[in-house]
Order: sequence, then C-alpha cells, then structure tokens
Amino acid sequence: MEEKNNTQNHSEDIINLVIARLETIPPNVEMSVGNEGSFSIDELIEKVKKQDAIGKKMIEMQLAYLRSLGKLPTQDLQNAPANN
Amino acid sequence: MLLLITRPLYDRATYYLFYWAGLLIDEARKKGVRVIDLDKDKAMRKKLHSYLAKQPIDIVILNGHGNQEAVAGQDNKIILSVGNGTNLLNGKVIFVRACDAGAILGKEIMKMGARGFIGYIQPFMFPIDKDSFKKPTEDELASPVLACSNQVGLSLIKGRSTAEAQKDSLDKYTEAIDKYSSSEAINSFLLPILLWNMTSQVCYQ
Repeated sequence: MEEKNNTQNHSEDIINLVIARLETIPPNVEMSVGNEGSFSIDELIEKVKKQDAIGKKMIEMQLAYLRSLGKLPTQDLQNAPANN
Repeated sequence: MLLLITRPLYDRATYYLFYWAGLLIDEARKKGVRVIDLDKDKAMRKKLHSYLAKQPIDIVILNGHGNQEAVAGQDNKIILSVGNGTNLLNGKVIFVRACDAGAILGKEIMKMGARGFIGYIQPFMFPIDKDSFKKPTEDELASPVLACSNQVGLSLIKGRSTAEAQKDSLDKYTEAIDKYSSSEAINSFLLPILLWNMTSQVCYQ
C-alpha cells in the first residue's frame, strides 16, 4: 500500500505558510493519513519541512484550500480538482 | 436489498472506520436491509470473494486502507485489486472508503460491469481528537469528515442511486464547509480537510 510521491519541491515561502497554518491547529489533534498512520501536528510540521510524501500532501491540501478562497458559493467547490 | 460491508480493525484509522461503518450497519438493519458484516478477521479476500460470488449482493461498502489499484482488509492484506475480484462486482454498487482507489481500481470495477462506484482519488484523511479516542463516533473533530463520507452509505441504503448518493454526500460537505466558514466557528482548521476529501470523492456510473 504505497502512495505515489509528488517529486515537485515547494519554495521556502510556501513551506513557511503551510507551517504557520498547521501551527494554528490545537495540540490535541492528530491527523489520520491513510495507511501511513496518524500524526501529531508537530510530526506533520516536520514532514512539511522535509517535504516527504505526507508533507507534500499536507502542502497540497492547504494550497488547494487557499486557492479555493474566493470561489463562493461553496457549491462551486464540488467541481474543484483536489490536486490543483 | 443485501449489503456487504468490510470493517477491518487493526490501527487508528481502521478503528475509526470500524465504528463509523457500524453506524451504517445499524441504519441498514433499521430499514430492513440484510447485512453481511465482514468485520475484523472476516475482512479477508477469500471470504469477500466467496460472498460476492454466491450471494445476490446489491451494495458493497469496503472500509480500510488502499492505493490506486487495491483495497486492503484485516492486517492490511489486499482483498480486492485490479484483475483480482473486480469481475465479482458486476451489477453491484460499490463504495470504497479507502485512499486513492478511485483513481484506477474504481475505473476497472466499472469496466467489469458494476452499476456504480464511489471512492477517493487521493488519500482519505481525517482529524482525531486524542481526548475522544475511546469514543470515535463522538469525536467532534473526526465527525464532520466521517459523517459526510458516511452519507454515501446512508443514501445507498435508502435506495438512492449512485449519483444521488454522491450528491447527498457532497451537499453534506458543502453544509459543513459553510458551517466552519462562519465567523463564529471554532475549529476552522477543519476546512482544508473537508475540502480535500470532498474534492477527492469521485463517482462513476
């Protein structure tokens, strides 16, 4: 059960933006990421810094959300690609 | 109507899915739907294929880990994959709650004659409140995501079509996104997760 890795690396500005967003998540939260396991927010931040496969998924997720802002009403989001 | 559901249980993700899928079983039984519950060690390839071959199953709901070409059961052992069991889904409606399986496996299932497929083309992710771990169906952080996903199963159990079940689920995601977007909302960190799963959920028919 391996996931395909996105080989693209992100800029330091993007990494810092995503880390800043992850730091707003309460410390009692863990994230279940498929069969990769469950991770604390600190672990996710480390993965974002390393830009490993899970870190890149976190970056993709945050960027997809940020790009969606302004696309209101949210009905429109039903057609938005996840990997944009 | 006959529903087959797999519910492996061996790590945190499957622990949550096990109990959330249990809600679908409860609802199905309330509605008089017969249920084949392949839980824990019963979520194995041989049993799944045997039931699919011999029973007049209408709806199949697979919970567990996955990748683009396969879905796993208990202990991460593959129970369905491209070229191995997809032909047994001919004429059935399938919901695969597992990472990535919508990308390739779902299309293969449709090619083999399934009536409909709903699944995910990216990793299925959800937050867990460590303080609620013992009560997964009451976890207020996991619930928004898992309730939207569960809506697929609830709608199928009610006899809704695959397309209608997908719409019902996406409508629920939209409601949740609107709720957590309001200025008074706490836990707005859920928004990227809701959007991720919503836009990763695909429907083929």
